[in-house]
Formats: sequence, structure tokens, C-alpha cells
Amino acid sequence: MTLDLILLQTFTGLALGSILVLMALGMSLIFGMLTVPNFAHGAFYMVGAYAGVVAFRLTDSFVAALVCAPLAVALLGFAVERTLVRPLYGRGLDYPIVLTFGLAYAMIEIIRILFGKEGIPFETPEFLQGAVSLGFGYFPLYRLFLIGVCVVVVGALYLCLEKTKFGLVVRAGANDPEIVRVLGIDIRTIWMLIFGLGTGLAALAGLLAAPMRGVTPEMGIPVLVEAFVVTVVGGMGSLAGASVAGILVGVVMSLTSLFSPKFAELSMFALMALTLIIRPRGLFGRPGLTG
Amino acid sequence: MSAAPIFEVKNVWVQFGGFSALSDVSLAFQPGQLTSIIGPNGAGKSTFFNVLSGSIKPTAGSVFALGHDITRMPQHKITRLGVAKSFQITSVFPQLSVLDNVRIAMQGAGRRFDLWTKRDSMIEQIDKAIEVLERVGLADRIERTAGTMAHGEQRALEMAMALALQPKALLLDEPTAGMSPEETRDMMDLIVGLAAERTVILVEHKMKLVMGISDRIIVLHHGEILADDKPAGIRANSEVRRVYLGEES
Amino acid sequence: MTAITAQASSTSWFTLLARRRVALAILALAALLFVAPYEALATNIIIYGLFALGCNLLLGYTGLLSFGQAAFFGLGAYGCGLSIVHGGAPVLVALAIGVVSAIFGAALIGAMVIRSRGIYFAMVTLALGQCVSAILYEADFWTGGENGLRGIAASVANFGVFKVNLVDPTQKFFFVLAFVALALILVERLLASPFGITLEAIRENEKRVIACGYDAQATKWLVFVLSGAICGLAGALYAIHLSIVPIDIVNYHNSGLVVMMSLLGGINTFFGPFIGAAIFLMLEDVVSKFTSHWQLVVGLLFIALVLFFPRGVWGTLLARMRSRS
Repeated sequence: MTLDLILLQTFTGLALGSILVLMALGMSLIFGMLTVPNFAHGAFYMVGAYAGVVAFRLTDSFVAALVCAPLAVALLGFAVERTLVRPLYGRGLDYPIVLTFGLAYAMIEIIRILFGKEGIPFETPEFLQGAVSLGFGYFPLYRLFLIGVCVVVVGALYLCLEKTKFGLVVRAGANDPEIVRVLGIDIRTIWMLIFGLGTGLAALAGLLAAPMRGVTPEMGIPVLVEAFVVTVVGGMGSLAGASVAGILVGVVMSLTSLFSPKFAELSMFALMALTLIIRPRGLFGRPGLTG
Repeated sequence: MSAAPIFEVKNVWVQFGGFSALSDVSLAFQPGQLTSIIGPNGAGKSTFFNVLSGSIKPTAGSVFALGHDITRMPQHKITRLGVAKSFQITSVFPQLSVLDNVRIAMQGAGRRFDLWTKRDSMIEQIDKAIEVLERVGLADRIERTAGTMAHGEQRALEMAMALALQPKALLLDEPTAGMSPEETRDMMDLIVGLAAERTVILVEHKMKLVMGISDRIIVLHHGEILADDKPAGIRANSEVRRVYLGEES
Repeated sequence: MTAITAQASSTSWFTLLARRRVALAILALAALLFVAPYEALATNIIIYGLFALGCNLLLGYTGLLSFGQAAFFGLGAYGCGLSIVHGGAPVLVALAIGVVSAIFGAALIGAMVIRSRGIYFAMVTLALGQCVSAILYEADFWTGGENGLRGIAASVANFGVFKVNLVDPTQKFFFVLAFVALALILVERLLASPFGITLEAIRENEKRVIACGYDAQATKWLVFVLSGAICGLAGALYAIHLSIVPIDIVNYHNSGLVVMMSLLGGINTFFGPFIGAAIFLMLEDVVSKFTSHWQLVVGLLFIALVLFFPRGVWGTLLARMRSRS
């Protein structure tokens, strides 16, 4: 067990964490604005990967796929929010949960019908193949790219939310939807946009994960749980929380797998249990949601 | 003869972010009195009420009720000490019957974790619940679903629930909010009747309502105590009149 | 005159029946044996009905949506199965061990989740349920991991005075039914108690309940444990029923299914969970013969229920009967 190995594994954790961050950001955005935990988030992740496959087949460009697939899924997200989720506001907090849960089933089965049950291989794009020397070892270029994309997206999101009018409205609406409505801003369009943005992020995560984890209809099922764990650890509705917790969970899981692969998955649950016992609202969470 | 105060608030501050809802408020309440807390909107009345009833914990300072330090005490324990409160926005159990609403309040110590006794056979409790409902004039509607009743009736139900707790102190937050003049009169009569047997602290923003019935009136303004006197003294207070000008209803 | 008397007697028929609802439920479930196409399906229905009853104690009565009840179903199943496979326990003892395992799990998990409110609660229970699933999966030396627990030899249930032959599907059905009936009686008693109305009060207005002097957290924890016990009993019976415990009964898919069954039947009703389980499982049995895309039907069913039919089948029926009486 050398330091080099540990450092290398930490970087692997950063790559894994990047996927988690993107998922959790999407989830936190949707929860923060709409107070809906999206139980179909894993399904959108999976659809993103498939959309990427289709986009790649059509354009032969990975970069084009990276842009088009999340956009396409975001559009799907708009439609879902508008037709399925919106009628449930005010009905009681639990209904959107059950709806999105059922939606996931439908989405997974539709993908099975369209693309088959077996899954589709997805090769790492040529220009991102190979490894890079980091000084303490060789690290896959693709994973570095992943980390880079995550940093760029988080940065862009931060800028958007802090510096733009749209971002201001989003933050205000997350705090108090009434105020925003009174100001004459159509909060419902914002909801739709946020839901689309959130699912778009999930789709991006799915596509980025595809070369590493493969593309199957079931790929989103464990990822939903991972997104939940990260959200609990980071704090519901907090974007800083999603970012920090995503990296933390990714690194912890990767390092644990170094010592004992069996406990890798359990380590994230241990983190969550610890959070629930010591600080139930999560690292950056709002106190109102827990006792 | 001065008995120990039933409520005491010492140097209480309540701050949200940079804003002070209550600034260094200290007050003592004697048992058996009807005290009204009034003030214009935003004066801090509700905040003070919530501090007294334990649903908001002060940023600084301490709160005592019935001889206990309730500053950090969980809400349900404060109720068990003998403090009952009503909510500013009507808060009952909408899908349950009027009778059940009161019985839940009545269940109190010992019955909370009773998983075996059949509720329908608890005749004594049912009779007592009906008695309380008679007091507020709802005894003829015990099977009604609480959520389907008129606003005034729901307020009366809330009062019944507070009474069912057999409190030594009753805290009422704008009990006549949203009521018609007739309902308001009935409610005020009820409150006066209740005050004869226990301590009542009332939060209101309509000064006229409380003038005739209170033993003591405290006026809050911008989170501080503006005046603290008997009704006659408050009426003569020019500061109070200035603050309330245009806001008297 | 005739109209008024007719009204008066129809009020009494509904109320009369409602008062005997446990007995009627048990009769209806017994009749299921003759309605269902084969005994194993009937047994499956009453087991899942019991599972859904446990879930609904939280959802319909207390207002807590848990997506992790499969964890307790699984703990009950594995607890029961393991005590037979590795401990050679007799069936009745194994069932008890299963229930106790589920109770421990629920007490532990309950303590962790009970401070979470509403929507957060659904998420956390799903994740913790998955944690239990992961633990059971990784402990493959005992549990068989991916392959599940096999070889649960449960051919005879010895009650002392008489024996039940569990190899015979009909006898097995009535054996399971006996426990389901016991659970129904206990749950009914619970709901009719002061604690029972407290649960509904929490669902209606938790702040109000606290203001009435109740420790809402403690109450919620207790009902969580009770629900876990019921789900655990269902799981233990399932292990006896199948003689194996497949690993996927513990994952959140199963938790979601049982929520769906409660919704389908009607979460505001006592017997709804069983109706929901019956409809769902019989539908699955039929649809799976025609298509392999049953999951799509499930998904659409969820969506349709939530959007158009939130009261569920039994809930809607009861509401109509009540308004007519």
C-alpha cells in the first residue's frame, strides 16, 4: 500500500465523484425549487446514456453527443414536468414521489423495447483514450476529462445562479415561491426549466459514465441510491452540499475498495448513517427538513 | 402578596439573520391574570408568543414557565407542564371528527402509548370531552368532520382542544382572526369566562377588543416593549396612540 | 315513511359490516383460495397483502411514505430462513426469529430516519433499505448472496396438539392465513386504541399533536417498529412459502411494489392493501402470459393511479357505499 497507489485511487474517486456530483446537483436543483425528490433521476441518467449513443451514431462526434444528448433529455424533462408532475402540486407532498417512481419503470421498459434488454457497448472515444502521467502514476485520460467536465459544469452553474437574473429568481424561488409569484415572474416556467436542467445534468452524468460502466437499461437503478446518499450527506437542496458530498462519497468509496472491495458500497451507506446520526440535515442542508 | 410569576422572560433576543424580531425583552406574568399583548403588525407579538409557548427558541436569554426553565425544552414537554396554546392559523385535525379532535387533546399522560384499550369503551373520557365541547358550544356537532366546519366553529374547536389539556396557563394567538363580529363577541365572552379560572395571555392587534377585558396590557413595537400598564394607563399613553394611529380597527 | 326506514336500515348495514371488518376480511381472504387460479398465487397474495398492511400502517394511517419496507420483509425472510438452514429451527420458532430480526432492524433504522420529515423520509428509507440489501448481499457466506438463500426445509409446522403439512399447498395456505388473521386482529385492535388515533392525528397535523403534549418522534418510531414487525412476519412467511429467499426481495423495487399495492387498494382503508395486492398479483399473472413488458404496465399503473385514481379501488368503493348509507 504505497502513497502513490492511494493518490491514484483518490483520483479515481474524484472521477467517480464527478459523476455523483452531476447527479446530485440535478437532484438538489429539482428538490430545492420544486420540493420534489425525483425518483426517476436514475432513469434520466440512463436515458442520457442511450441518447448519447444515438447522437454519437448520428454525428460520429463525442463532443456533439455530449451537447445534444443532455439537451434532448432536458426537453423530455420539460415535457414530464409540464404534463405529469405539475398537476400534483398542492396535492400532498408524497404524490410526485410515487409518480416519478412509476415513471422510472415506464422509462426503463420503453428503452428495453426500443433498444433491447442486453445493453450497448460504448467505447471510450479515440481522442480521449490512453493514460496520462500524473507524477505518482498513470491515470486514464478519459477520467481526467470527466473531472474536467464536472468542474466546468459546476463553475458554469455557480456563475449562472449567482450572477444572472435567472439564477436570482431560482434562488429566491427556492427560498420562497410566493415572493417570486408576487413579483410577476411566471414561477411555473421556472419550475419546468429547472426540472429540465436537473434531468439534463443527470443525462450528462449517464453519458459521461457510459464508457466506464457500459450502457444498459438497468444502469440507473443503483445510481438513484447513490444520488440519494450524496444528497443526504450534502444536505437537501444545497448545491454546495451536492458538490462537496459527491466528491467525498466518490473518494471514500474508491479508497475503501482499495482495502476491501466488499465494503466499498457499504462505505457510502456508513457515511450516510453517520450523517443521519450526527448531523441529520447534512453538511450544508437547511434545518427545516429535520427535527 | 406577590406569588411567584407563572411566566418569566429574561433578556430575550430573537434574531433571524441580521434582523431582530425581539430585542432584550424582559417580562414577568403573575398567575390568574388576563394579559393582552398588542402592537401593530411586525411588532414582534407573534414572535413573543412563540417564545413563550416554546415553539421558537430565543437566540439569547431565558424563558421560565411554571417554575421550570423552558428555554431549551421540547415543545411537547412544555405542554405537559400545563401550558396550552392556540395557533394563529386554525390548526385542527381536519379529517377527524370534532369529538376525536378533543379526545386526542385529552389523552394526556398515560394514554399516549396505550395500544390496547378500545377507544369506544372509554365512556368517562368521552363524557368529559363532550363537557368541554359544551363549554364552547359544539356539543351538538361531535360527529362532524372538523375540516368541513365553518372557520368560527374550527376556532371554537381549537379552544376546546386547548381546554381539554386542563392547562394552568392558556396562550391565545389572535383568537378572533377571521371571525364575524358575532363570533368575535362569543369568543371574547368565552375567553373572559376561562380567564376567571386560569392565567390567560392573549395576543391581539385589535386594541379595542382587549381594552375592556384585560388586567394588564403590554404594547410591543419593533421588538421592544413600548408600554406595560393597566388598560386605563394604556389608553392615556400618547406614545401608544401615536404608534397605533391609523392602525386601530 | 318507507324511505326513512329504508335509510335507517341501510345505515345500520354499513356500520354493522364495518364493525365486523376483521372477520369479513378473514373470510374474504379464505375465499381467495377458491377464486385464485392456483394455491401458490393465493398464498402469495395474502403474504403480500400482509406486507402491504404493514406498509400502510405507516403510509395511510400515520402519513409516512417509506420506500424501504422491503428491508424488513427481507430481514424477516432471511432471519426465518437462516434459522432453519443454519440452525435447524422448527418452523414456528423460525417465524418468531424472523419477526424479531425485522424488529431489530426497524428499531435501528427507525432511530436514524425518524428525524427526517416528509419527502426526505422517503429518500432516506429507500437508501437505508438498499443498505440492508447490500449487507445481506455481501454476507454471502450465510445468505447465499446473489443466489439467495436456498434449501429452507419447512415441510411440517408442529403446533404440539396438531401438525400442519406445509408441502400440501392448501394446508400451507391456511397456515399462512392463520398468521395473517392474527395480524389483522392485532392491527385492528391497535387502530381502535388511543395510540391508533394518535397516528392519524400525526398524519393530519403533526405540529398540533406536539402542542397537545405528545412526543411525536417517539410515536413515529414506535409505529415504524410495529410496521417493520408486520412486514417481517410477511417476509418470514414468504420464506416458508417458497423454501428459498431470493435476494431481490430486499431491494427498493419490492418496497415500491408494496406502496403501489397500498395505493391501488386505497391507503385510507383497512382492507385496501389486500385488495391492492390481489389485483396487482392477479394482473401480473395474466399480463405476463401475453407480454414480457409487464414493467411498463406497472409504471403506467403507478402514474395513472397517482394522477387519476388516488383513492384506489377499495377506497373509491367504500366512499360510494358510505355516501349511500
